[in-house]
Order: sequence, then C-alpha cells, then structure tokens
Amino acid sequence: MEYVNPLTGLRIDGRRPTEMRHLKGQIGVVSKADGSALFEMGNTRVIAAVYGPRQVQNKAQQMNNNEALVRCEYSMANFSTGDRARKPKGDRRSTEISLVIRQTMEACILTKLMPRSQIDIFVQVLQADGGTRSACINAATLALADAGIPMRDIVTSCSAGYLCTTPLLDLNYAEDSAGGPDVTVGILAKMDKVTLLQMDAKLPLDTFETVMQLAIEGCKAIAQYIREIILQNTKQLECRRGS
Amino acid sequence: MVGMVIERDSVGEEGDDVVTPGEFLGKATDFIAGKGAYVSPNGRSVRACLTGRRKVTAPPPGSNDNRSTIEIVGHKAHGAVPQPGSIVIARVTKVMARNASADIMCVDSKAVKEKFSGIIRQQDVRATEIDKVDMYQSFRPGDIVRALVLSLGDARAYYLSTAKNELGVVSAHSISGGTMVPISWTEMQCPLTGQIEQRKVAKVD
Repeated sequence: MEYVNPLTGLRIDGRRPTEMRHLKGQIGVVSKADGSALFEMGNTRVIAAVYGPRQVQNKAQQMNNNEALVRCEYSMANFSTGDRARKPKGDRRSTEISLVIRQTMEACILTKLMPRSQIDIFVQVLQADGGTRSACINAATLALADAGIPMRDIVTSCSAGYLCTTPLLDLNYAEDSAGGPDVTVGILAKMDKVTLLQMDAKLPLDTFETVMQLAIEGCKAIAQYIREIILQNTKQLECRRGS
Repeated sequence: MVGMVIERDSVGEEGDDVVTPGEFLGKATDFIAGKGAYVSPNGRSVRACLTGRRKVTAPPPGSNDNRSTIEIVGHKAHGAVPQPGSIVIARVTKVMARNASADIMCVDSKAVKEKFSGIIRQQDVRATEIDKVDMYQSFRPGDIVRALVLSLGDARAYYLSTAKNELGVVSAHSISGGTMVPISWTEMQCPLTGQIEQRKVAKVD
C-alpha cells in the first residue's frame, strides 16, 4: 500500500510528509476539576482533568515526604475506536501509557514546592486516530497550566514515522498500523530538553536522527500553539473578572 | 546536541507581561526568583513556572542584596489552608473522653475547597480548670464551633483551641431537633421543649 503517493508526494489523508494534523485546544471543560483541557490532533480527541495539589489519600503510596506525589490514569472510552469491545483501563497498554505520561509530567512539575500533597492527572481518549499518547501529554500540559500547578516548562509531544523511505510527521491510525517505525518524542519546549523518547520497530541510526529531529520540530510547533491557547485563556479570564 | 538553553527570548513579547511556564524572565544576577518563578538548572536565568502576570517588587531596604524580586501572579484562586493563628469554623464529628474531632469548613471567613481534620484536646477547651473538663458537656457531634488553630498538629489533624470567650459552640441542635439558644457560657436551651443542654458556648456579639 502506498502511504506516500509517488506522483504527488501526498499522504493518504492529503497531507504533505512534514505537515501536522489540525490542532485544537480548549481549557476549562470540566468545571469540578482544578484544571482541565480538551485537545484534538486531527481526529484524535482527548480530555484531561487535573486535581491537586490536595491531601494524599493513600499514605502507603507516598514515597517521599519532601515531594508531591504525581498520579496519572489513562483510559480509552469504549466508543473511541472502531470496534466497541475494549476494556477501558487496567489492560497492559493503558498501564504502560499511564506510566509514560506520569514520568513525563513528573519531570516537569516542580514537586519539591508541594511536599506531602498529591496531584492527580486523569486523561481519557474520546476518539482515537493515532498519536493518542502525544495528544494525552499535550492535553495534560494544558490542564496543569490551567490548574496553576508550578511547572518548569510546557511539555509537548509529537510522533513521527518512516514509511516509503520518507520521514512522516504526526502519524494517524492507518499509517501507525502499517508496521513501520513510530518515534514519539516529548520535549520541554523553551529549554530544549527531551523528556520522553519512545520507538517501536527498528531504524538505522542516521534515519533515526532525521525522524527524531522532525518530531522535535513538530513538538515546537505544538508548543507555540499551546502557549497561544494559554495566553488567550488568561486574557479572557481577566476580561471576565473586569481587570 | 539538545542541551543548549535559549536565552535570547525577548523580555516582554507582544508588548504585555502575561507569561507561560518556561518563559525567560531575567538573569539570575539581576533578579531573585519569587513565587511563581524558579532559577534554571544552570543557575544563570530566572524562568516562570506559572501562567499569569509578571510582578517586580523592589528589594527590601537594609538588605545586602539589591536585586529585585520577580513574581508571577496566577489567575486561579487556590482554596484556603488553615495556618496557626487563624480562626476557623468547624463541625464536630466525634466526641471522645479526652478530645473531640472536627472538620474544618471555613478559614478566616473563606470556605475551604476540601475539608481538613482538626482535633480539640481536653486541655484546649477552656482557659480555667482544664483538668476537670468533661468533653461530652462541652461539645456534641454536629455542633458548629469557632476555634483557633494552635498548630499544624500531627500527620492526622490540626490542633484547635476554644479557650477564649469568643470561641466555642456557635450553633447546635438539641436532642429534639430545634436550634438551641445560648443562655450562658455553659448552657444552651432548646426553644421547642425548654430543655437545657451543656455546651462550651462562644460569646458572639
């Protein structure tokens, strides 16, 4: 199957190889949560809710008294994929992605400022079309910024792959299930540091460098967009408050 | 390859000072990082860690350091947290032989987002004759009390005190269900049945 048309150079959904899907972000969608966000990357739609900092509920989980405990739960809604028969959480993939998101966000939250407290991040996939991991991290960043939790920097994530000898940015589900390599990168945008790097399948080293660089550029573009959303939200809140 | 910190972001992009996490605020040699800002790992720049407006405060007079403090004022109001010395309104949940447990609901006239646990010990109920205090004649479960936070207490609860005239039970229900009226600093009366019950009553003006 030709994922990149040899004549036009376009992909199956009409994008160019280095073009990302349409992004859309919204803050404050869950009123009960301290911070929440809805993030869309093309057809992938994800909602994140953050509760915290609050009192630790399970003392047994509290490892370190000097830092906040960060908990994360990733689940997919039953209706998010093509066939409905899916166990929403507790299966291996969900546990792995919960761990990945938790480690990524923990690296960027200033946990030492909130000892003996707990921050809960809940992410749920409403519509899955490839790149759910990245969309979840981006939504979690927006939700944490909405909750006012101190962070080192904005964490953004994007995936890239390599099909038909072309590096492709932001794979959708069809391209992801093609069997080619899928590199997911998470970076701290302004500080230019990598917090997440995952890949399945194999790639020669120089190709890997190209694909990773492409993913990093995608992350920076998302960071730009996320920053605009956060600024717009703050201005709107100030306007409503009358200042 | 990916270790360079970009320090050339212009301070005050777009002409206003709303900042997002990670933005460069100033050099560490010119500013001290206040609330909402932090010093980057290489120790040379101060960056924001919250979303909000930048606020620069002059250095306090008489200090050796003449760097200004830069702070970020966030837009979300966080819930109140009890501090030692603050007056709280709490609802009594359990009364035992030597102490009473209460759930703190308001701190200094601001309601809390999530309730905190407080404990009133026998010696903190009143100022006089503290060893002869009968907890059951001072509080009952369901009473609303005004108390003073003594300290952060142990891991389970804040330590509260009602050992002042204006502290103690402000509202209580009698056994029959009516809201009682205070008649002295140790007694309250039910308006439905006329029955008198013992409480440590607060003197409300």
